[in-house]
Amino acid sequence: MSVIKTSVSRNTWKIWVYLFLFILAILILFPLVNTVSQSFMTNQEVNVFPPRIFPFEPTIQSYIQVVTQGDVRLDLWLRNSLVAASGYTLLVLLICSPAAYAFSRLNFPGKKILFAILMVTIMIPGQVTLIPNFLLLRDLRWLDTFYALVLPGAANVFGLFLLRQFFMQIPRDIEEAVVLDGGGYFARFRHAILPSSGNVLAALSIFVFLGHYNDLFWPLIVTNTLETRTLPVGLSIIQSSYAGQFRPMILAGAVLSFIPILVVFIFFQRQIIKGVVTTGMGGR
Amino acid sequence: MAGIETYQNKKVILSKERTVPFYLKLKTREAVAAYIFLAPFLIFFSVFFIRATITSIRLSFFDWRLLRPDITFIGFGNYIELLNDSIWWSAVQNTLFFAIMTVIGATIFGLAAALAVTRPIRGGEFFRVLFYVPQLMSVGAIGLIWNWLLNTQFGTINYFLSFFGIASVNWLGNPDIVMQSLSMVTIWWTFGFPMLIYIAGLQNIPEQLYEAARIDGANAWQTLVYITLPLLRPAILFVMVTGFIGHFQVFGQPQIITAGGGPGRASWTVIIYLFQNAWVAFRMGFGTAIAMAIAMIMAVVTLIQFKLINRNVEY
Repeated sequence: MSVIKTSVSRNTWKIWVYLFLFILAILILFPLVNTVSQSFMTNQEVNVFPPRIFPFEPTIQSYIQVVTQGDVRLDLWLRNSLVAASGYTLLVLLICSPAAYAFSRLNFPGKKILFAILMVTIMIPGQVTLIPNFLLLRDLRWLDTFYALVLPGAANVFGLFLLRQFFMQIPRDIEEAVVLDGGGYFARFRHAILPSSGNVLAALSIFVFLGHYNDLFWPLIVTNTLETRTLPVGLSIIQSSYAGQFRPMILAGAVLSFIPILVVFIFFQRQIIKGVVTTGMGGR
Repeated sequence: MAGIETYQNKKVILSKERTVPFYLKLKTREAVAAYIFLAPFLIFFSVFFIRATITSIRLSFFDWRLLRPDITFIGFGNYIELLNDSIWWSAVQNTLFFAIMTVIGATIFGLAAALAVTRPIRGGEFFRVLFYVPQLMSVGAIGLIWNWLLNTQFGTINYFLSFFGIASVNWLGNPDIVMQSLSMVTIWWTFGFPMLIYIAGLQNIPEQLYEAARIDGANAWQTLVYITLPLLRPAILFVMVTGFIGHFQVFGQPQIITAGGGPGRASWTVIIYLFQNAWVAFRMGFGTAIAMAIAMIMAVVTLIQFKLINRNVEY
């Protein structure tokens, strides 16, 4: 009797968990499915009441429009976003990893003070530097260029801390092998530290990349021509100029903009999820 | 300072072995190497952070419009104007409300989802991946999607709710609920991150504790309240602190979904306020004062939260 009772209660408990998961899954998926579905409607069909969730006669008219409309340049915006985010990620790795090595392994005068300054700056939000950096880039005539999107955030203190924390855990024996071969500090960093840090460098890259790729504020203020916009900025502009007239085109733009990241996620899903946990970064 | 002391201490020991010059050479070599490694970082950090922060503080005492040549020192004028601006205070209120509501919502949904997907059930992995998908979208795509879904007349959210007898809601046009609407969207968008952090936290809780609870006859609710939640406290605090800082800086949602903070100024947040003053009205001096005020609010909130975390560590 008691055996039956526990197995029944265990099963009912499982049913509740599944019910919760399915409801949550519907809440997550419904907006996405609705968007994809309505992007195949005509301009008339999205504006009928009551709203239709599935198109009566699916058409790719909105997708044709979004790639041919003269002032909607998803191709250029995507390229700009990818180039800027990759360049930024590369630069962050290039300047943060040697600095993290110095902080984790080397002794030098001023180390403690420098580290304390960096700790304090973590508390200062990015808005403080926005206006002076904007003015500097304007004076250098770098607004509307790749430099404006890439340079200002390159000294990523969070990345430095993350790498330092990881480098400190690498056993010293690995470095000693390089020292025995007569290698200097650079050789130790290059041949001992970097090869042992693949995972953390990958995790940091993914989040630095996603954070930059998804940023809206900075690219909005430092770009001002159609050709130099990034994807989030471009999307926000077509929303304000075309939402009233061509709703399916807007939805098609949103769908197309999400495809590259979704593809990356499908391939690197395990690494990304592991990276979220180890870095404690959500990607924005 | 500390470096010199250790250097001198060691020098005394080493001088007995008569290896001072060699040692000195090594020590300087190490310091030189360290600064070469640090140089690129320090250059970028000095230009785009230290210099920028100092300029920001200085500029906040001046009245300067970008397109005009004259720049006037006005002391605390910008700060006084800010303190007396009711639009600023309503933006602060909107932002605090949004950040608190979103953090609480994302914590609850994230925790519930984490607890559900870590049960020994089939498909847990699938749901975990699925729940993280919205988080990958840019605020641009989120804005386009939700501006339409929440449309009063043609939006499918209201249509969906009508099946449950709920009269159509003016999600984005009603000043009293627009911040709730944006918060709801943001919870939908971002709860996957807290979920992953909680899953990691749950996996660190030793199985023996649950077994002990089972032997003591604890039910599921008691296990949750007396074992799971107290042990997840560091993870929950981490999510709340980082979440609050992130959501306090909300910009894209009101900028895109409610077309720059509408209706009227009902969804202006502090960053929208900064954007409007610095890049629409081009008031650079006033803009830096706003940025300083935002920094101060966030510093206070962060300090309070650090205190909470420290108390947790002591306990």
